[in-house]
Amino acid sequence: MPYHEFKCSECIPERKKHAVVKGEGEDLTSCLPLGYLNTIPGTISERGCAFCGAKHVIGTPMKDVIHLCHGPVGCTYDTWQTKRYISDNDNYQFKYTFATDMKEKDIVFGAEKLLKQNIIDAFKAFPEIKRMSVYQTCASALIGDDIDAIAKEVMGEMPDVDIFVCNSPGFAGPSQSGGHHLINIAWVNQKVGTFEPKITSDYVINYVGEYNIQGDQEVMVDYFRRMGIQVLSTFTGNGSYDDLRGMHRADLNVLECARSAEYICNELRVRYGTPRMDIDGFGFKPLSESLLKVGMFFGLEKEAQTIIDEEIARWKPEFDWYARRLKGVKVCLWPGGSKLWHWAHVIHDEMNVDVVSLYTKFGHQGDMEKGIARCAEGALAIDDPNELEGIEAMKELKPDIILTGVRPGEVAKKMRVQYLNAHAYHNGPYKGFEGWVRFARDIYNAVYSPIHQLSGLDISKDEIDTDNRFMTRQMISDVKIDTEAAEASDEREYTGDYDCVTKLRGKKYPKLEKEALSID
Amino acid sequence: MEDMMKDQVDQLVDYIMKWCLWQFNSRAWDRKDQNEGILTKTTQILCDEPAENDTPADRCYWVEAVMLARDFKSTYPWLSEMDNNEIKLLMQGLKERIDYLTISGSLNKELTNPTY
Repeated sequence: MPYHEFKCSECIPERKKHAVVKGEGEDLTSCLPLGYLNTIPGTISERGCAFCGAKHVIGTPMKDVIHLCHGPVGCTYDTWQTKRYISDNDNYQFKYTFATDMKEKDIVFGAEKLLKQNIIDAFKAFPEIKRMSVYQTCASALIGDDIDAIAKEVMGEMPDVDIFVCNSPGFAGPSQSGGHHLINIAWVNQKVGTFEPKITSDYVINYVGEYNIQGDQEVMVDYFRRMGIQVLSTFTGNGSYDDLRGMHRADLNVLECARSAEYICNELRVRYGTPRMDIDGFGFKPLSESLLKVGMFFGLEKEAQTIIDEEIARWKPEFDWYARRLKGVKVCLWPGGSKLWHWAHVIHDEMNVDVVSLYTKFGHQGDMEKGIARCAEGALAIDDPNELEGIEAMKELKPDIILTGVRPGEVAKKMRVQYLNAHAYHNGPYKGFEGWVRFARDIYNAVYSPIHQLSGLDISKDEIDTDNRFMTRQMISDVKIDTEAAEASDEREYTGDYDCVTKLRGKKYPKLEKEALSID
Repeated sequence: MEDMMKDQVDQLVDYIMKWCLWQFNSRAWDRKDQNEGILTKTTQILCDEPAENDTPADRCYWVEAVMLARDFKSTYPWLSEMDNNEIKLLMQGLKERIDYLTISGSLNKELTNPTY
């Protein structure tokens, strides 16, 4: 086994089996780190907790819901501006955050009364919202508050409301992934099948494992609707509570992030016979094939191909402008879970960058199987890295950019390594054909930014040549390309709008309207 | 001859590993069903034989198989020079290799979990 031992972790020998180098001739039977295990004492993990995985990743993107955290107020930190799971109802779910604000006396005497009063107060404060999710935390779990009983009591007293209870305290798993699992199962057990949705097409899907990061969901749903497909629900980005109660009525579950949402797809397959189709929404080839697959399932292949042709004609020349200039850029692909395999091969194949390392904070061995299978030889694959390992890897591999989350991103910035937010994005959406150009543009701007070049200077003492010290991006990036070939091509920089999502809202879809009429 | 077939199987394995996701469902029994369902239909399509797609589950396998067969044909021109017997032999080798990499030889400790 080609394990990699970090010098900084020699004092934690268990860590050795959590990193491998994909060497020549290695395959998954000889090259796979351990994964999804409890973090080893002594190593400072970058993971989140199971509460965070349930509430902040999967629960809160649901848009028409009061999300109430039953615990200390600090547990509900991740809200407006820290997450970018937007919605088309003015971001209700992020603008308002609710917590019961448990204190010491509640721990001693119990907090069920406090919870009930908070639920009632929240519904009264927002009378137009009739749906709520209540999330257990470590504190309320340890004192044994019966949240389910309180929710039933309130629903009895307020018949027009519906409440979902998620019992996933922070300690309920090695990482946020434990929370993904628990909330998937809780939703299918408590809510699926309790609402009959309106079916308006002969072609009906649930779009699962999609969180509408900066509009990803809205871009993808636009493609499906243009094909004439009804997206009955999205689990959970920009998703509606009642639509998600009707998931059992879809013909197909289209699964994007298998790490966070395969559980509900698997359960829907077992309980309702709805098949699961895994797709990749990133990259021209994977996205095209994904749309074709969904189209083909319903006999709508021609419709899918029309969209693909239009979108590629519009966006490929702009993507190529960046891909030409990104050749050989070294990338550490260090996201949370699924993006390590969504991107491992396609950023190399299409953007021309070299993935020198990949890691996952909370992924399972299955995610590493996909990532290692897809990445090039020589890549260092790390499970649940600690901060010192990240620093050691950056010193050793000398990447030009890290695609990661905010916490390790800040560490990278201090080392003067550029970082792009792989979780919440910088200037997304990154899904879809246009999104793929925006992603390439953001990588380009990060790697070749003149500001980045200047950031290593101490302006209080360093001598700065005023004539040519400011390196323009042309001086940095264009010296590496064949300018004649570039000029002869139809390549151009990104010309899309700053906001490419809002205009999709309220768009008419003639194919869907026709379907709805004939079904009625 | 054996070396050539091994090389061809390896090329097809590389393609699946890089561009497909269906072989990596989270449990061993699930992977077995996926590999069997999709690679059987891919073989049928490559050999111009009928592939069933009447049930939702079959239709899902069939969709993946149609895409895979198309990609194989466009990526590996040598496939079009094979007759049906050779294709079946090749696909049998491919199935055995994929089963080994994703199930019997897999180091993934979660494959045998009894539940999701």
